[in-house]
Amino acid sequence: MIRSAKREVAKRLFSKEFNSSKYKVGGEGEKEAVYVLTPLGLRCNRVFIVGVLLEKEEVKPDSDMWRIRITDPMGSFLGFVSKFQPEALDSLADINPPEIVSVTAKAKLLERNDRSLPLLRPENINVSDFETRDYWVLETAKATLKRIKALEMGEDKIVLEKYNPNLEDFRKAVIDVLMKLREEQTVIEDESEEEEDKDLGFELDEEIIDLSDFEIGD
Amino acid sequence: MADDRFQAIVEEIYEKFKIYGVTRKEIESRLKLLLYEFKVPEEEAKKTIINGLRKNYNIAKSDLKPPLTKISEIEPNKWVSLKAKVIQLWEPNSPAIAQTGLIGDETGTARFVVWAKANKKRLEEGKCYLFERVVIDEFMGLKSVKVTSASEVKEINENIEVKEEKAEVEVVGALIAIQQNSGLLQSCKICGRVVKAGVCIEHGKVETNDILRTRCVLDDGERIYDLILNEDNIKALTGIGLKEARKLAEEHLDRGIVLLEIKKKLLGRYLRVQGELRFRSLTANKVEFYRPKILEEVEKVLREAEA
Ligand SMILES: [Zn+2]
Repeated sequence: MIRSAKREVAKRLFSKEFNSSKYKVGGEGEKEAVYVLTPLGLRCNRVFIVGVLLEKEEVKPDSDMWRIRITDPMGSFLGFVSKFQPEALDSLADINPPEIVSVTAKAKLLERNDRSLPLLRPENINVSDFETRDYWVLETAKATLKRIKALEMGEDKIVLEKYNPNLEDFRKAVIDVLMKLREEQTVIEDESEEEEDKDLGFELDEEIIDLSDFEIGD
Repeated sequence: MADDRFQAIVEEIYEKFKIYGVTRKEIESRLKLLLYEFKVPEEEAKKTIINGLRKNYNIAKSDLKPPLTKISEIEPNKWVSLKAKVIQLWEPNSPAIAQTGLIGDETGTARFVVWAKANKKRLEEGKCYLFERVVIDEFMGLKSVKVTSASEVKEINENIEVKEEKAEVEVVGALIAIQQNSGLLQSCKICGRVVKAGVCIEHGKVETNDILRTRCVLDDGERIYDLILNEDNIKALTGIGLKEARKLAEEHLDRGIVLLEIKKKLLGRYLRVQGELRFRSLTANKVEFYRPKILEEVEKVLREAEA
């Protein structure tokens, strides 16, 4: 069966890029979706994020509208969950910060006066784990570097004109994140090696232990 | 003007006239003259050469369109016209590309690319189009249809039945949504359809079988797959098989609990799926949580980024 409804791909991006977004594109004609245009040229309508849920707060008592903050290595995403996202609302009830979560969300840009505020409308939130988070960081770093490269080739005139983004700044931020991840990963590998050492040490010790030190039998 | 642009124009005109014995050289020298000596705008130069050649060779305008070709017969470096359905749109990974995805006709499917510079109206999934003067190229053994500024694309009011093609693939992506009609379900004993409250839309009140199935969306950041997980797949990932699912449902007096448990264990996770792809429906043969060697990957990306 061929489904004709178009489903938007969930984009991977860091909070730094998302939070620097000031413009929307699309929305022309009834059917066309609205996209948040980021300074690195990403057009996003849906995003996928794995990070730490740091805050969860009811906007007004009994409003069932929750403000959440989810961090990634570059900062944090602001999100709102209400009864219009029943699945996310349900699962959020059981999650208490701090907790690693994965989130699929609609990307929105609130515009008031001269200011624009990028925020997330989660469709679902789920408890995740460190391994998934690390892979998300890697995947997102790769996608971000790809966008930087495309802009350096001058391929996206609209973005270059609208934002004139500081590409070096973004590249440095991504490299910092990757170096941090490398450091953490190296520690994890060392720890598992250390554990092997310990095991080995214990076995050796056992051999030298004089069994007469133990009271064996009754 | 860039050399490849110059060559593209030569190629475009050559494709139209080669069956009449026109040579590339002839076109090149006329184009050079008009563009470089007389500084005529590109489109004007093209039009003038085409008109001139038509007059010289006495060719009617309607004869100049490249032949209508079926997808199974397209060949690299040829200009053709096609009638095809847009099966699926993918996420372009370069701003130079306006749209990309999969088109198909009765004979098969092909990738397509609409260049941003072509400045075309956006194509929609599920609609059929006449693609005129598109050029075929090949990328990693896959034929690809390019829509350039020389091409014309018109929506047509006929439905093209696309020949279904299956492909063996391996995909890594995040499972970002689980759809209705998933979990512990009941199917009609006569026709196998999923039934609600024991009533089949075809057979009315029927006896049912319990089945465990999950329809979900796998998303790799550029493309979407409708992934179907069967009982074995679900059991391999979550430890919940049909037996466990029934037990859960009985304990909680609610079949819905099974779907909730599956969601808790799968939503937002990265999966590696080996399976069969038909358009965008992916049926898993083997599925597992994706556990990459992150340190190795990080070092690779860092080397590339710092280079
Ligand atoms: Zn039936």
